[in-house]
Amino acid sequence: MLKYSIRRLLGMIPMLILISIVVFSLAKLMPGDSLSGEIDPLNTSPEYIAEMREKLGYNDPLPVQYFNWITGFVQGDFGKSTRFQIPVFDLIMEKVPNTLLLGVTALVITYIMAFIMGMYSGRRPYTLGDNAIAGFNYVMLAIPSFVAAVFAIYIFAFQLNWFPFAGSVDILVEEGSFEYYMSRMHHVLLPAIVLGAMSTASYTQFLRNDIIENSRKDFVRTARAKGTPMKKIYNVHILRNSIIPLVTFLGFDFAALIGGAIITETIFTYPGIGQLFLESVTSRDYPTLMALTMLLSFLTLFGNLLADILYGVVDPRIRLD
Amino acid sequence: MKKKSLLWLFALVLILSAFLAACGGGSDDASNESGSEGEGSSEGTAEGEPQKGGTLVYGLDAPPEGLFSSAFYGIATDAEVIDLFDEALISYNENLEPEPNVASWETEDSKVFNFKFEEGVKWHNGEELTVNDWVFALETIADPDYDGPRYANVQTIEGAEAYRSGDADSISGIEVVSDYEINITFDEARVNNLTNLWAYPLPESVLGDVPVAEMSASEWVRSTPIGIGPFKVDKIVPGESVEFSKFDEYWNGDVNLDKIVLRVIDNSSVVGALQNNDIDMISLQPVSGPEVEPLENVEIVTYPGLTYYYVGFKLGKFDNESQTITEELPKYQSKELRQAMMYALNRQEWVDAFFFGYADVVNKPVPSSHWNSADDSELIQYEYDPEKSKQMLDEAGYVDTNDDGFREDPNGDEFVVKFSHYATGNPTFESRAQAIAQYFEAVGLRSEVEMVEVNLYYDMVEKDDASIETFFGGWGTGTDPDPSGLWKADQLWNYPRYNNPEADQLLDDALDIEIVGTDQEKRKELYVEWQKIVNEDLPMLYIAELEEIKALNTRVGGVEYDVSGQNSPAEWFVTE
Repeated sequence: MLKYSIRRLLGMIPMLILISIVVFSLAKLMPGDSLSGEIDPLNTSPEYIAEMREKLGYNDPLPVQYFNWITGFVQGDFGKSTRFQIPVFDLIMEKVPNTLLLGVTALVITYIMAFIMGMYSGRRPYTLGDNAIAGFNYVMLAIPSFVAAVFAIYIFAFQLNWFPFAGSVDILVEEGSFEYYMSRMHHVLLPAIVLGAMSTASYTQFLRNDIIENSRKDFVRTARAKGTPMKKIYNVHILRNSIIPLVTFLGFDFAALIGGAIITETIFTYPGIGQLFLESVTSRDYPTLMALTMLLSFLTLFGNLLADILYGVVDPRIRLD
Repeated sequence: MKKKSLLWLFALVLILSAFLAACGGGSDDASNESGSEGEGSSEGTAEGEPQKGGTLVYGLDAPPEGLFSSAFYGIATDAEVIDLFDEALISYNENLEPEPNVASWETEDSKVFNFKFEEGVKWHNGEELTVNDWVFALETIADPDYDGPRYANVQTIEGAEAYRSGDADSISGIEVVSDYEINITFDEARVNNLTNLWAYPLPESVLGDVPVAEMSASEWVRSTPIGIGPFKVDKIVPGESVEFSKFDEYWNGDVNLDKIVLRVIDNSSVVGALQNNDIDMISLQPVSGPEVEPLENVEIVTYPGLTYYYVGFKLGKFDNESQTITEELPKYQSKELRQAMMYALNRQEWVDAFFFGYADVVNKPVPSSHWNSADDSELIQYEYDPEKSKQMLDEAGYVDTNDDGFREDPNGDEFVVKFSHYATGNPTFESRAQAIAQYFEAVGLRSEVEMVEVNLYYDMVEKDDASIETFFGGWGTGTDPDPSGLWKADQLWNYPRYNNPEADQLLDDALDIEIVGTDQEKRKELYVEWQKIVNEDLPMLYIAELEEIKALNTRVGGVEYDVSGQNSPAEWFVTE
């Protein structure tokens, strides 16, 4: 297992180098740079723009720019955000706690809902309830999340006043107090529900199919022959086998947790990685954009590795070496 | 893994829609909102005497970048935040003329200025404001390591260049007389030396030890900014909210409110938040206006802004090295053609349709609230008149010679108006560009619309790309009404490449102290003369100037807007 992990990790290096080239080229291929676009003649002058371009190295040949960027990057220096004027690393660290909170809450909601619906559907396949659940899942999957977010805000925040409509915390409560944490949970809940409830489809259907498959297996027949109650068979024997593949999903969720939810965060003005990512694209903030893309690529690769290792852990039949 | 690819597809769709969602809002203004605003001062809505206490919730529809220092900020959103806790040494009245605030001034020759500061003005950290804080600000901006965009406001002080290049240890034109008195000498006498001068102090007591290169990233700028305004910053939650509280030692009178809470909200939530009393005041996009108007608890206040939109013609090519217009492009050189195209536009209808009435049709490139703006009676008005337009085109030789329904140019060749507009994902942009093209087609000029992604668009316009022939654009102007930077033949941002030595001469004369002295009337005459020329020449078709739109909850009072922006937040109050 260790040997396998090391081999995989080493294999990631050329992959990451290739990714970095692609990321850099794509970023530079975008028309304009952080100084172009709409000009406010009050705040700037052609001389200033020319000077900043020189200072930021936008006039250097592309290979030189790439080399400068990648050497800094490998040493942990992600550069300085052209928009916020602070190191990109600080910027990311500032947003990560918010995004993690949102991601974890959403994931918990997804797991709970998917678990309940999946177990129900698996036990009663092809019934009205099963079809209703499948219908619900696919409708949720089909609704774009910005539509869902706007409707959720309208109904739950403005009409019912259950949740705040924006932000991650009420600024008036004292930091560190009990109210502070309650306020954070209160703020994160609505975007988390929008995110969580909408991505139950894959988990639910996966669990359902697995339960159906397992329920036709020999050990179930044996258990039934022994006179074990159906409830126990489903809740203990089958479920235990069926959640094994689900565990591996965790690996894929890994990158998504940090990557945040671009649209949902933006609409809820929830300052996290997703919002930062979108802003860095629209304002041509290359250092931030490239650091985030690299980070997400790395996490995706790492998540895949994690998933593969988890397969081996939960299912002894799979050998990694 | 079919499921995985499904997930990826879903993710792609989400990302795509994110761009749509994000671009849909906030991109209605072609040029950035400039800090200052229009005439027709309007008051807040609550009646009666100012009340003490209470909290006002101030909304922003875009997240600030977090550069909360006058010397370093780059976008209008940050400026809005700074305005709540800091103020300038000099303020501007409703005619955009400078007025003493903390500093008063005297000058004999418009070259040497003597400034006297109020005594007892306190920074939020308790230190007293002295002229040294201003000197510190000027030297910071003139420092070679300074990474903000304000150097143009310091450049004209005598010795600033030498300081910047490292030849001098201080700026020779700055002479500190006492803690409250300072003399500033400019490199030459100009009429606009004062309005151009950087008039915000920086607190030396907290920033004095920070190297200039690290200032913009320093904690002082980002999370614990201080100023001299009526409110001080208590807490900042980056990207979403700021808490201000009343500054008890404010130098200029009483402060009504106890607290201001600033909240960032997404455009899609603005109307709902106003309706639910979640926010008390916010700037509105024109598109939200019709939705907010019916709300009973919200009042809309408008005042003319300093932003105008236009359709420009590329009349030449510019060489940035030599700063000259090197080539003349023949296609739109005919003044009659340009005028005919202007008569073809139904600008009022267009403004009503795409700006919901929150804009006024203009015939000149100077916002009507400026003191140097020409009166309508002195300018050609270009009322919508398609018949006149057709007649002018006929006379200029643009007639349909091959019976295809569209006019050919005087040589008998096909003539197509190629009109470019920037695209941001805002779906109204394409239709408003199409609408303009249709006006041209209605008088027989074949037209083509090209939508270009916004960053690329401005790049192409600036570099005189051959595919840009006529283009849509907008400019914001500031407190200094001089249009030289956007209009003279040697300026990069003169996008139409308008080249008229006579007009340039007028602009130079209006700034020449030998000719106009300190007489504002005389300057105005020259500017009016200039406006008459560009009004007739039409290097661009002036479309409209935008109104600034503010939504105020009815419980808010004491808020006034005029051409120089909002009044001091010290006067704002809320009723319960």
